[in-house]
Amino acid sequence: MLRKGLLDIFETALNRRTVFTTGVNFREVTDRKEMLKSLPVADEGTAGEKSIDVDSLIQGRGDRFPNSQIDSKRFDGVLFKDLPIINIRVSPNNTIINLTNAKGLPEIIRSCGIEGFKNTRKGTNVAAQATAITIGTKIIERGTKTARVRVQGMGPGRMSAIKGLQMAGINIVSITDNTRVSWYPPRPRKQRKL
Amino acid sequence: MRHASFIARTVFVQNNDVEAACRILNRILGREEIFDQFRRTRFYEKPYQYRRRVNFEKCKALYNEDMQRKIEFILRKNRVDPFPGSL
Repeated sequence: MLRKGLLDIFETALNRRTVFTTGVNFREVTDRKEMLKSLPVADEGTAGEKSIDVDSLIQGRGDRFPNSQIDSKRFDGVLFKDLPIINIRVSPNNTIINLTNAKGLPEIIRSCGIEGFKNTRKGTNVAAQATAITIGTKIIERGTKTARVRVQGMGPGRMSAIKGLQMAGINIVSITDNTRVSWYPPRPRKQRKL
Repeated sequence: MRHASFIARTVFVQNNDVEAACRILNRILGREEIFDQFRRTRFYEKPYQYRRRVNFEKCKALYNEDMQRKIEFILRKNRVDPFPGSL
């Protein structure tokens, strides 16, 4: 009975909903700025940033994040701190991947530009994936199979570079974000005029 | 302060599921507003833009708080009249 009463109220409210149609006529989308404003924000290659996905986090909570035993943890018989590092430097216009040893000395470097992609094509996810696959196979030829990954910056190549490394057959132990973020940075460059 | 490398902002890959690890990392960084700050500091934010953004955020926080209170009131289960206002 009570539920029915509530439903009735909802229904009448729905039928009487006021829809304003005059505002549409006043909108001006003649300008380029206006057009850009109405467009959806471009995806910058950070999948999962806005999604809410609680179950997977709770499920594997125990071992997801490093704890105090991190230094004694072994992966493929090698201590975590002695594993080689694959650095991925992502920017909107390019993706640079390099392999360093555990101390940080660089060994191989490869970028979308070296790979043969030029100009705007460098800054695509396809280019990043291709680069990651080539450097991944090279790393495996050198005899390294297990590595930890450190990502810096944001851009279209962020996810696809990691995926490419996995496709090349590298056993990725951990993913670290090393994006440089400051709350009190020196004054950045002026805004672009669109 | 500099955080310890490979301890801060690090997620282990489990069962070779790289995408899940990335998603967790990105979600945490997104929720902690680290990505927002990164995007904001690519270009100089003029004082008027800063004021506008801060005012907008204030208004949004107020609205969200009130809306949350309303939703909690409506969804509250332990009450004498379970559907106030209805017949």
